[in-house]
Amino acid sequence: MMEMFIRATGNISPQKTFGHVPFLNEPVEYFTNRLSCIEPDYKNFIDAKMIRRMSRIIKMGVAAATECLQEANVEMPDAIITGTAYGCLEDTGIFLTKLVEQKEEMLTPTAFIQSTHNTVGAQVALMLHCHNYNNTFVHRGFSFESALLDAMMLLSENEAKNILVGSVDEITNTSHTIINRMGLYKQIPSSNFALFSSNTKGTIAGEGASFFLLSSEQSENNYAQLDALTTFYKPKNINEIENQISDFLNYRSTSIDEIDLLITGKNGDINGDKIYEEINETLFKNKPLINFKHLCGEYPTATGFALWLAANIIKTKTVPSIAGKISVDNKLKKILIYNHYQNIHHSLFLISAC
Amino acid sequence: MDKLIADLKKQIVDQLNLQDIKPEDIGDDEPLFVEGLGLDSIDALELIVLLQQHYKIKLESADDGPKVFRTVKTMAEYITAHQPKNV
Repeated sequence: MMEMFIRATGNISPQKTFGHVPFLNEPVEYFTNRLSCIEPDYKNFIDAKMIRRMSRIIKMGVAAATECLQEANVEMPDAIITGTAYGCLEDTGIFLTKLVEQKEEMLTPTAFIQSTHNTVGAQVALMLHCHNYNNTFVHRGFSFESALLDAMMLLSENEAKNILVGSVDEITNTSHTIINRMGLYKQIPSSNFALFSSNTKGTIAGEGASFFLLSSEQSENNYAQLDALTTFYKPKNINEIENQISDFLNYRSTSIDEIDLLITGKNGDINGDKIYEEINETLFKNKPLINFKHLCGEYPTATGFALWLAANIIKTKTVPSIAGKISVDNKLKKILIYNHYQNIHHSLFLISAC
Repeated sequence: MDKLIADLKKQIVDQLNLQDIKPEDIGDDEPLFVEGLGLDSIDALELIVLLQQHYKIKLESADDGPKVFRTVKTMAEYITAHQPKNV
């Protein structure tokens, strides 16, 4: 497979990750089971006439994408690809509520138009007047992975040189209430910094918009090289997971010894975290390891945050202390991200220094 | 008529989520579309729904749209002429 690079990033998350800010050196602590994004003043990024129709997730996505393109100094990407599990939930909720309340009559168009899953990618294209390839993937816990895979294939086939690819998902009051009722989130609020020591069921809800400019061209500004990505669905047991990880690394002619840092998707749920803990005792034994969901919360496209974290660790050669007490140096070459969403959607990313 | 115009301005700002514009900033005779407030075709649909929701008035013909929605004052005049008696 040809080389492909992360040229730039843009990230809006529950941490201070947007704009020219130091790399996670002021972590934000929450005492709730719902981590909401820290949002910028969108008027600095989006035209006032367009902003009035945009719901929160659209603004988050457009702003993160804009920052990413500005950093990359790319005015017109060859493709725009997004991944989202839930899409524009707020607008969906508004138009469905009106549908019921107004007995299917006198429905306004804006919320309906903006509620489709591809709105963020479309809005970015509208702002740029970009008529190039535009696609959105909606595959629950594989949404971002599918978007990224599409981008990697386009680059491999020389269909594009610079691709804007991103993940977006939001929490709304309605979605949080419904998912909370299903028992997915912790019932007793505690600090997100203590997420991994709770020993209870459930996790904390999260959201975010993470964008990347993927390029097939070398540049001294590149953050990292994206070596490979794979997904696997509903593994039967730990052995199958270990085999999938081994096969993935073998395919890239990489041994586990070459991995300098592991980023895993522990989310504080004792059931789901067992998987990571078992692998940490076998395949990943004695490897430097950090987690990320205490920073961004759990959501189906949280791997967007993980990739942003990995790219920044490689670029800055530092691991923020809030992610783990690990010292790295210029020898840091390869990072493996392993995440699973509800033990259904499992994904692996291999990233290396340029 | 003055109260109706004031109400309409507030409803337009609310319905269209106009940013940084107060109802009193909109002139009675200021064009709503293109060179005035800069509204577009999606806003036109919102205004049609606004007429139905608040004033129980259905636009008789789509061809009337440009004339009726030219300014706040023309909207008020149309409402006054077409509003059902019991509203």
